[in-house]
Amino acid sequence: MNLIQWARSPWGERVPIHISWDLLWAAAIAGALFLIVHAIYVGYWAKPEAESPADSKAAAAAARVPERVARHSLGARLFHWVMAASMFALVLTAFLPKVGVKFSWVTIHWIAGVVLTISVLYHIIHATFWLDFWSIWPDKQDIEDASRRFNRAMGKPAPPPKKFGKYPLENKLFHLSVLFAGLAVIFTGIFMMYRVRTPFFTRNPYLFGDMTWGLMYVLHGLAGVGFVTLIMTHIYFAVRPEKVFLTKSMIFGWISRGKYLEHHDPERWPVGDAAPKARQSKAPEVVT
Amino acid sequence: MAVIRDVIPAFELFQPASIEDAQSLLARYGPEGWVLAGGLDTFDWLADRIKRPTAVVDLGQIKGLSGVRVVDGGLEIGAMTTLTEVVQHPVVREKYRLLAEAAEAAASPQIRNQGTIGGNVSQDARCWYYRAGWPCYRAGGNICYADTPKGLNREHAILDADRCVAVNPSDTAPALIALDAKMVIRTPKEERVVDAEDYFIGPATDITRMTVLQPGDLLTAIRIPSTWAGAQFYFEKVRDRNVWDFALVNVASATKVSGSAIGDVRLVVNGVAAHPVRLKAVEAAVTGKPRNEATAELAGQLAVQGAQPLQHNGYKVPLMTNLVKRAIRGVAGEAA
Amino acid sequence: MANNPTPMKHTLVGKNYTTPDLLAKVTGKAKYAEDYRADGMLFCKLLLSPYPHARVKHIDKRAALAMPGVKAIITVDDLPAPADSITDLGMVIKADLLGERGLTNEPVYQGEPILAVAAVDELTAAEAIEKIHVEYERLPFVIDPLDSLRPGGPNARVEGNVWMRNPPPPNAKPGPPPPLVRGILKWTEEDFAAAKEGQLPMGKATDEWMLGNVDAAMKGAALVLDETFVTPNVSHQCLETRSTMAYWQNGKVFVHTGTQSTFQTAPAIARWLGIDVKDVVFISEYTGGGFGSKITGGVSMIIPAILSKKTNAPVMMRISREEEHYIGRARPSLQGRMKVGFSKEGRVVAVDMFVICDNGPYEQMFDATAAGLIVSLAYQPPAMRWRGMTVLTNTVPRSAQSQPGGMQGITLMEPVLAKAARKLGIDQVAIRRINAPEGKAEFGAAMGGRRGHATSCFLKEALDNGAKLFKWDERKARSGKRNGSKVRGAGVAVSAFFGGSTGYDGLIIIKPDGRLSIQSGIGNHGTESVSDSHRVSAEILGIPWEKCDLTWGNTSKNLPFSCASGGSQTTHAMTRAAYAAGMDAKRKLQEVAAKALGGKPEQYDVAGERVFRKGGGAGMSLAQAAQRAIQFGGAYDGHELPKDINKATAAAATALAGQGLMGVGKDTYPHDGATFSYVASFAEVEVDLETGKYYILDFLASADAGTIVHPAAFGGQVLGRSMLGISHAIGQKWVYDQHYGAPLAKRFYNNKPPTILDAPANMQWAALDIPDPETPVGARGIGEPPVGGGCSAILNALTAAVGDEVIRRAPVTPDQILASLQAGKPVYAGLKADV
Repeated sequence: MNLIQWARSPWGERVPIHISWDLLWAAAIAGALFLIVHAIYVGYWAKPEAESPADSKAAAAAARVPERVARHSLGARLFHWVMAASMFALVLTAFLPKVGVKFSWVTIHWIAGVVLTISVLYHIIHATFWLDFWSIWPDKQDIEDASRRFNRAMGKPAPPPKKFGKYPLENKLFHLSVLFAGLAVIFTGIFMMYRVRTPFFTRNPYLFGDMTWGLMYVLHGLAGVGFVTLIMTHIYFAVRPEKVFLTKSMIFGWISRGKYLEHHDPERWPVGDAAPKARQSKAPEVVT
Repeated sequence: MAVIRDVIPAFELFQPASIEDAQSLLARYGPEGWVLAGGLDTFDWLADRIKRPTAVVDLGQIKGLSGVRVVDGGLEIGAMTTLTEVVQHPVVREKYRLLAEAAEAAASPQIRNQGTIGGNVSQDARCWYYRAGWPCYRAGGNICYADTPKGLNREHAILDADRCVAVNPSDTAPALIALDAKMVIRTPKEERVVDAEDYFIGPATDITRMTVLQPGDLLTAIRIPSTWAGAQFYFEKVRDRNVWDFALVNVASATKVSGSAIGDVRLVVNGVAAHPVRLKAVEAAVTGKPRNEATAELAGQLAVQGAQPLQHNGYKVPLMTNLVKRAIRGVAGEAA
Repeated sequence: MANNPTPMKHTLVGKNYTTPDLLAKVTGKAKYAEDYRADGMLFCKLLLSPYPHARVKHIDKRAALAMPGVKAIITVDDLPAPADSITDLGMVIKADLLGERGLTNEPVYQGEPILAVAAVDELTAAEAIEKIHVEYERLPFVIDPLDSLRPGGPNARVEGNVWMRNPPPPNAKPGPPPPLVRGILKWTEEDFAAAKEGQLPMGKATDEWMLGNVDAAMKGAALVLDETFVTPNVSHQCLETRSTMAYWQNGKVFVHTGTQSTFQTAPAIARWLGIDVKDVVFISEYTGGGFGSKITGGVSMIIPAILSKKTNAPVMMRISREEEHYIGRARPSLQGRMKVGFSKEGRVVAVDMFVICDNGPYEQMFDATAAGLIVSLAYQPPAMRWRGMTVLTNTVPRSAQSQPGGMQGITLMEPVLAKAARKLGIDQVAIRRINAPEGKAEFGAAMGGRRGHATSCFLKEALDNGAKLFKWDERKARSGKRNGSKVRGAGVAVSAFFGGSTGYDGLIIIKPDGRLSIQSGIGNHGTESVSDSHRVSAEILGIPWEKCDLTWGNTSKNLPFSCASGGSQTTHAMTRAAYAAGMDAKRKLQEVAAKALGGKPEQYDVAGERVFRKGGGAGMSLAQAAQRAIQFGGAYDGHELPKDINKATAAAATALAGQGLMGVGKDTYPHDGATFSYVASFAEVEVDLETGKYYILDFLASADAGTIVHPAAFGGQVLGRSMLGISHAIGQKWVYDQHYGAPLAKRFYNNKPPTILDAPANMQWAALDIPDPETPVGARGIGEPPVGGGCSAILNALTAAVGDEVIRRAPVTPDQILASLQAGKPVYAGLKADV
């Protein structure tokens, strides 16, 4: 199997034109394997994590936790679902024709791409200035905890990991992957709009040379099939029973105090009065 | 590795005697197989070494694929019937003159002796970039060279372009759609009959194919119902040369007149999009209207709505307008 | 005026006959180059450059050479280096080191051959080519001459973008002009800005001449028109591609290929191969068309010769239609701007002509120069300025094509004349008549105080004759009148071009069986001049054509010095040579008879296959005379030869000496002026204003080309070359993608040469048949002027139908007419060529 489809440019040069569409299946299989392996891991190997000793300080903190802990602002939720919708539209319009479902996909694809681009721009600005910007990035603690969990799963002695901050590590890693893949498809996609008829640009398919264009299509394609895997894993996590409360929070904006205390470390994710004001969203975060 | 556009690569030639054998060969060779009818489209591709099948399945020896038969008051034309046979067939000339005129307008006398009607309707696009073997959308690539700032697109599409701006080159296709012909397709599983109108597809649907034929499918016959037998027909093809030239634009119409009004009409234009364009909105607008200049004018204007000309093919808009007007009038060049 | 002897009453000249090649041609027995086969013959295929301009950095041939059946691969490094050549007159022509060599390491157009592979069959050769890896370095390229003239525009060659002469050093002594070189010339932004939309910008020209005071004449003109027009690049598209087969035997190279000129091709092969001409045997009995693209064959013919030497086997190079498109030559497009002043009577009082020739990458074409000369001859402006440029582009190489330059000049000027006639209310025939050259008409600039002049011209008579036969007045009356969506237009055009050269040799032998052997070095490329010209000798000797045996098409068969068949010079040049040979044989017959039978030679006459005493008495048959000539020897049977004949003729005559009575002679007949031929072409078209489609209803070309030697061939030339011109008017074209520098219209269905069904429904020719006074037989060549006449008559008929604001370039296709009518102004893709 070739990763890239090559062609002869009008000058007889060997240039990439796009990824091999077989990679679509590879991505789907990779996604499926991941969730099988993960499900087995969680079911058979993952050790229940020891409750961290409840001290008075923690109890006092818990008392200050509201009944419903705001997790996602309305703006953040709207972004998520707009992005999700555009992403679904993009992936479906991109790949259904490749698997034999023929329809007029280009216009839907680029419009969805524009929606995605705008929503991502919104998200970058929103997250930078209004949200707890660093809460989504993996930190030192995450790596240490991951290693502890892994060792414990392997039966090796290791101290229990701490609870998560606002976002579990998986969530953070997923965000990171989506970030890279998303920026890749957006960056290449914007230029690719020079090749189709849109109201935004004067078409100029000769903006770049054959090789540059080819690599751009390959990058777009790789990120695109990457999204197939990412979406599969994302949905998988969203429907996993122990994660459903997070999925719900993406709809309703909050998690219950119980879930908060069960899964999250108030030190890493202070809420209520403890939450630093500056980092709080201006949107009504606490829903009672 | 260097490119050479000369010398037909070696292939294995099969001349099956039945459709079943042909299809089993095509199934055996998959993407390496190639269906050969009259060869007018095929040998360009092969001699340029752009298409390189290892097996060529010649349909020429299959009995029953050739000839015109009167069936159920209509006609069934075998896909391998030559254009010359179609042109000369007495029933075609008498009742379906539209098809005779369209077939006679195709190519040149020599080519019509060799070219088949199945090939004429199923032929590939003639865009010179695509035919040069450049990796355009239609060839599986990611660009249309004709629709670029310097692209040479005098002969390209003004309607329904979607990345690719190639046009369908067939002369018989619009006539067959106007006659409401049915295409008989043998898939590896079954026989399927589709309306001629639905036989052709545009780049939005599938950018690498011109028809609904899937690999392994064969067009076996074209059935023309008696619905439009003896109707009033109009066919005109405008081309650069008087012969051996694809249409810049062609038009085919079948009209039934009731009294002085247009009772029923089918109107199709080709050379303007990647598929023949049936002008349903125009048909609806003119039905019931008197067959006069005002109606022709209305039809002409309506026909080109949504046209998006490229740098060098703006002339196709007035050309299509005028041809549609003539088709509605039913006579050439009678403008006031 | 007439310095030449008036020939006797014609018995063969002016009559139709069965040409000696006819049967073979119509039965398919004629062997063209590609039909030859030899034992162990290899086939060769070419690797063509994908780039319009590049440098070959590295070639990896290993995988190809390792293939079974692959015998050799050659590149330009295997070809002999370009060498200086010496003409018959001893003039040294310096080799152009940047000239075309057949293969190259610096391809200058897409499709230029880089290397050639010889293999046991073509399939293997083609597969071998696909295994070769060539590494290139891309170089700047240009397709449109105007792009190259822009400030900072690309140059087609590293060395420059125009053909020009460097200015002579100051204080240089007057002498021949400095040599032409590839130099760099750019115009300014202001030059480009000064041109209005649709006008050709005019910056500094590389070449110009002036006659009279153009500015003053323009000021006094009643009407001044300033028109821009673009003529097309048109490939020759000979039906026989330049396939070649070559092999070596006993140190000689045997080459089979098509040519226009059998005799003259052997020295070209010798020069290209770097060998002595005596080691070249060139075989070309039939050639499928030349039109200027095969005057002496083409340099590509050495490729199989070199491969053959390397592999020690015969090598066949079959050229495909696509390859022919690349290496088969084309006429250069001219972009022209004509500012023409007219008196109110329609007389052209001044012409200010600016032309840019799209030269292609190689040797300079002189089409821009010829265009100026022909305009000055055909319309006789008393004041004229000509400025010309020859701009290099990375497009396929050009060569002469029928009426080179003249065709374009006529096509630039004719629509201006047609427009002027409409504006001034003058009849189209009348305006051409009052501007037509006459008699020893002058042309060009004054060189050394004198202008050149024609041998003779009867163009006014040709116009009158044509107008009458075409029923011009009737057609004029309905021209421009609309009927439904259709409108008719009638057009007329005049045209002129060179029609002959002088100074070649004739060689004939009356054999002892009374038959006449004629040695011909003329090429057989369809014009029939290969046999037509020689009928003059037979006529002089009173020998029926059935008793003539023509030897042609093989340089090993002792052929005399013959002209290159280009520019339709053959009929003129070689009837003169045939006349010389015939007269020499006649004189010898008279001398032989006098010697044998007594009396003085001048007392004898030759007729009816006999030489006999005038007024009755003793005589002998030509067969007997031939036997006597062999007995007498010396000059009579070719053992002594005239001193003035070409050394090749002398060698041929020496080889044939002793076989009979030999007539051999060089054309030394007086010749005052330059030989031109003329046509007046008429056309009627019908344009459909709703579709832009038009049909040519009627066409007539009325010729003035002196005495007609062979009416059927003459008519074929008039109509055939008119058709070539018509093809320029109606549709034959190039299409070049400017981004990749690649030609797109390489197949006939794309580049659209006219078919028989595109020919006018009714097509006629006429000729005055007035002998030219400056040549013994009175014949001039006719192959050139019909081209410009054919093209321009159609263009003028079209403008008569649709008006002057529709057409700005040829070919005129339905899209141009419809879009312009729709817009109310000319709509076309700018001045870019090849859209």
